[in-house]
Amino acid sequence: MITLLLLAALLWPLCVAGSTVWQAYRTPAASRDYFPLLWISASWPALLLAFSGEVQWTIDAWMLGGYWELNTLSRPWLAFTALLWSLAAAHARGYFSAEQRKAQAGDQGAQRRCQRLALLWPLTLLGNVLLIIAQDIASFYLGFALMTFAAYALVLHSGSNEARLGARAYLALAVIGEGLILGGLLWVAGSAETLTLKGVREGIVAADDGALMALLLWLGFGVKAGVIGLHVWLPLAHPVAPAPASAVLSGAMIKAGLLGWINVLPLGVDGLSPALIQLGNIMLVAGLAAAFGAALYGVWQRHPKAVLAYSSISQMGMLTAMVAMGLAAPDVWSLILPGVVLFAAHHALAKGALFLGTSISEHMPRWPQPLLFALIALPGVSLTGALAAGMLSKWSVKSALYEMHHEGLIMLLTWAAIGTSALVSVCVWRQWQQRHSGGSDAFQWGAWLTALIAALVTPIWLPLPVGSVEVPPASEWLSLSWPFPVGVMVVVVGVLIGAGWRRHAVVQTLPAGDLWWLYSDLTLRGLRALRVIARACEKVKMASVTFSLALERTLMGHLKRGLFAEAWMRHHGSGLMMAFAVILALLLMWEGLR
Amino acid sequence: MIASIDYVEVGVAFCLVAAALACLFDRHLKRASSLFLLFALLMSLSWWLFDAPGLALAELVLGLTLTGGSFFYALNAFPATAEKVPHYDRSLHRWSHKVVRAVLALAWSVMIGGAIWFLLPDMAYSPTEHPLIIAAVVIVATAMGAFALHRHMLRRLMAFNVLGSGVFLLLAGMAGTMPGSQALISVGLTIAWLGTLLGVLLIRQLVSLEGLLALESDSDATGHAQ
Amino acid sequence: MIWRFGLYESTFEPQWYSHWALLAILVLPIFIGLLGAFFTPRRLFPVALACLPILLAGALLIVDYLQVGLLRWQWDIAGVELSLRFNGLSGLMLMITQWVGTAAAMYTPGHLQLTNPGKHARWLWPLMGVLISALSLIWLAVDLLTLYAALELMGLAAVGMLLLSGKPDALKAGMRYLLLALVGSLAYLLGVALLLGYWGELDLKSLVEVVEPSPVSWVAAALIGAGLALKAALFPLHGWLTPVHENAWTPVSALHAALVIKASLFMLIMLWGILLPDALFAPRLVAWLGMLAIVWGGLIAWRAESLKTLVASSTVGQLGYLMVAFPLLLGSAVSPLPGALAWEGFWLQLMGHSLAKAAMFMAVGNLIIATGESSIKGLAGTSRRLPLSLLIFGIASVTLMGLPPSAGFTAKWLLLQAMVMTQQWVAVAALLIGTLLTAAYVFRVFRYSFDETAPRHQYQPLAPGMDLIALCLALAAFALGLLAHLPLALLQGGGA
Repeated sequence: MITLLLLAALLWPLCVAGSTVWQAYRTPAASRDYFPLLWISASWPALLLAFSGEVQWTIDAWMLGGYWELNTLSRPWLAFTALLWSLAAAHARGYFSAEQRKAQAGDQGAQRRCQRLALLWPLTLLGNVLLIIAQDIASFYLGFALMTFAAYALVLHSGSNEARLGARAYLALAVIGEGLILGGLLWVAGSAETLTLKGVREGIVAADDGALMALLLWLGFGVKAGVIGLHVWLPLAHPVAPAPASAVLSGAMIKAGLLGWINVLPLGVDGLSPALIQLGNIMLVAGLAAAFGAALYGVWQRHPKAVLAYSSISQMGMLTAMVAMGLAAPDVWSLILPGVVLFAAHHALAKGALFLGTSISEHMPRWPQPLLFALIALPGVSLTGALAAGMLSKWSVKSALYEMHHEGLIMLLTWAAIGTSALVSVCVWRQWQQRHSGGSDAFQWGAWLTALIAALVTPIWLPLPVGSVEVPPASEWLSLSWPFPVGVMVVVVGVLIGAGWRRHAVVQTLPAGDLWWLYSDLTLRGLRALRVIARACEKVKMASVTFSLALERTLMGHLKRGLFAEAWMRHHGSGLMMAFAVILALLLMWEGLR
Repeated sequence: MIASIDYVEVGVAFCLVAAALACLFDRHLKRASSLFLLFALLMSLSWWLFDAPGLALAELVLGLTLTGGSFFYALNAFPATAEKVPHYDRSLHRWSHKVVRAVLALAWSVMIGGAIWFLLPDMAYSPTEHPLIIAAVVIVATAMGAFALHRHMLRRLMAFNVLGSGVFLLLAGMAGTMPGSQALISVGLTIAWLGTLLGVLLIRQLVSLEGLLALESDSDATGHAQ
Repeated sequence: MIWRFGLYESTFEPQWYSHWALLAILVLPIFIGLLGAFFTPRRLFPVALACLPILLAGALLIVDYLQVGLLRWQWDIAGVELSLRFNGLSGLMLMITQWVGTAAAMYTPGHLQLTNPGKHARWLWPLMGVLISALSLIWLAVDLLTLYAALELMGLAAVGMLLLSGKPDALKAGMRYLLLALVGSLAYLLGVALLLGYWGELDLKSLVEVVEPSPVSWVAAALIGAGLALKAALFPLHGWLTPVHENAWTPVSALHAALVIKASLFMLIMLWGILLPDALFAPRLVAWLGMLAIVWGGLIAWRAESLKTLVASSTVGQLGYLMVAFPLLLGSAVSPLPGALAWEGFWLQLMGHSLAKAAMFMAVGNLIIATGESSIKGLAGTSRRLPLSLLIFGIASVTLMGLPPSAGFTAKWLLLQAMVMTQQWVAVAALLIGTLLTAAYVFRVFRYSFDETAPRHQYQPLAPGMDLIALCLALAAFALGLLAHLPLALLQGGGA
């Protein structure tokens, strides 16, 4: 039964993609429904699968031998991922209704865009599901690569200049990331002669160059997870992607990077080499830097989705720091892991709800506006840890850290939460500034509300091991929730001061994508230098070609002259024969008489 | 008795060498051909001296009549203007060419002579014991050198014939006139005649196609020499 | 050497039919050739039919050899002992001779029909018959007299055939060949004279027992070597070869390149094997000349302007491969395994080259007849119109290049193995360079023929079977490489 469900979870998205193609050829453009119920249902089997228990599969016929598993880690992961995909799909039906109408009216561009999205959405989903359940390298990498490259179309969807830039940044970094992952996986697989992810973890511990392999893999997955320095695609891609695509990008796919880390890095293993522990420290610093840096940079953004993207970077920075603890302080890991999963799940749903919320503020239903914006802000508040699931997830992390006496890290994480709340406030404020009413759709706000509620009650439905989540004691509520008001205060004060000085211009020109511009400038300079070198090389090449041609001519001339010896041999055949006989006789005599 | 035979042999040997040299190095073609007839006659005589009347007869028929006749047959085909101006081989050779050929001929004579020295131990004591063999060595080496030197086809053909006679003479001188060597010589004579006939036919054909000059040049068919 | 060339007493008498078969292979070709002169066949089938009894006789001899081992015949005619023997090696050579001869004969009617050479063309048939008979005699004969007679007969017949085309260039080249061939045989005869004078033996079997290293055997070996090398066109005495092939008729060139020069080489290796059992430096000199030959032949062929020159020059290079193996075949210093490998490689290369070269000459002849051009540049545009002829050329050149699965590959593989074992790295390098050069000149032909910009000429259609015969020969060279164990087993049957 559960195997059938597995098959359905993997094949159903394929069927959906197939039906989209089928529809594209069979149904006339005017009556084509790009996002029917069938399309929305693509992720439902996966969702069912997540709630149907733990199980293992070994499939020898699949590629290099498939080994798939639903365990304590992948079940909750699959659950929140599939849920988010389902909600985002439902939201998309509403979100794209205007575009679909345009397509049905005969707009070729809209037709193409809708077609592309409808086809690649289930494929991206398929990759995401596959990578979660896969426990062998080949399937995992296949899923990861499929998800990464299919998602390109999701970013590119609108086709505007900004979208192109975002998609290009996404693709460039994705290719770098895939290269790093592939290199790392092949290296480990080669040195440890393993085909499973478990073998990879053990191989990294055992190998001499384990730290280098781990570094490759960390950076490779870090592209997805937005490690500082590699995060630049997030603020470029998120604002331009459609809201549901942003939701899955930021909620589900970013988490794939995190899952990659958890799957391949030897977290919580005793007896790591000093180099690996050093790598853990570096990760810790990088994570915290991302958590704070993204908050500081993000508050200046105008576009609410860019703000949310920085918020994602900040949150992923925190998660990076937590994962880093698995290397730097391995004994913490077993305690912190449920917290990390809960944190990730909650962040996925909450960030999903926030992104879906951006489309709600652009197409406001006829609700009272304060209520609407309170609802829009609610997942953000939860994200800061001030209430509901957010508070629980923060607590489950903190309690583990308390237990192992890492108070410094707790303090830093708490301060980072101030940044989170500041970002959420800015985001809501920006949405308020850019609000529009009309064009609302029941699918749109229905999915959003569901996501909101699911985010708030994450621990209830998430299939975590029993007893891994506990409600924080009342005495800790204050310590968990104080960053929210502080963050809001910081923003309010900042806005007031900014309004007083009337100097928005300076601060608001900080472009989204921060380091991307530095990278692209550096790349351009590098290309220019390369071009100069190439020109020099071309000159050298031309010179050598000319030289070789001259050499060839000379050699051929010599050869042709040399070949006249043939005529000489022809003329002196009899003389040569005489000489040959004499030489032979002398040689034989000399040899014989020696 | 022995002494008189010796004188005859020495005389014949001397005449053979003289006739061969004259035949090889005379540029006047008709005279050279006549000299070849003389050489063949002397050859026949020397076969007689070797107590091989059969060979002497074969030499008379094959060597003198047929082969010698072939040369005149070839000369007959030369254009009629040749009646007044005798046919000469006018090709000139560079001196280095000649010197190299002479050295090579010398080397051959030394080589063959050395082998014979080893083969017939009595030669070491009295070189004049076998004057015909010495003559044969000289003829072979000279004819070989002349063959390598000349360009004119008719003269090369003649040099080949002289060379052949020298070889036969050597063969008979060393191996005696046992049936094996007689058979070899008869085959050789026949082949030499057939070869000469073929060559003469060829020369006639060539002269009729391209004129006399074609005989003197050893130019290439492919045409990228000289 | 004694075992390899079958110079020992046979254990059993030949079967009764072997005598008739022997008579057939020696006399029938001449007889059928004479018939051909009278009836001048216009078609392929009568020729094939006439060749059949000769082929059958050859097969019978091989069957007999497989049954009773070495076959020997000896006659005493007026005090002169003539002897023949038939062992695995002569069997192989005989087969190659007969089959290539048959192919050439079957190719001839079509060629004559298309070139329309005139009345004297009828003399080609008896000459061809004499040539085949003389060749068969050379493979079988084991006394110096028969060998001499057969060699001369073969040489005169070959010259006669070469002259038939009647062009002045052909006449000049033929005259040069005639003179050099005659003088070469005289050098051989001079060597024989020394041997006969010293040991008094003409029969090789008796000679092998009495011969010992002495100045006489050395000078004799030198004279015989030089004479036969001249006739076999071994570098640097190969000068006469190219013009001769260039001007002769296609089947004649094919026969000449495939068989005639090989006969002198066969005699050379056999006589040196007897006279120089311990020589070290003379074979090495030949090997060094062989390396030069490989490079030189390749270069000449590479720069050749005319198609037939290319094919003829490639013969010079291919003979170089055979020369390079000399030190491994002669001399007692060679250890048995590389010696045996080189022995097998040598004959396989010789046979493979015979088949491939005959096929190549026929393919080239077909191209020349069809296009009416004899230069390589004249091939432009033939890739579309004459793909079959080009294909045959390609298959034949695969053998020459020594690519698998051809006989050339197997042979060169064996030779390379032997050379690596004896650490003759220069020879290995020469072999590899030769392969490269072969590829260079072969692809030069293809480069011109795949020129699509050439104007379309009117091509002369070929007579039926002309392509097919060449193709069969080229494929036979392939088959020889794939089924190399069969001829090699025959070669070892005599106890190598």
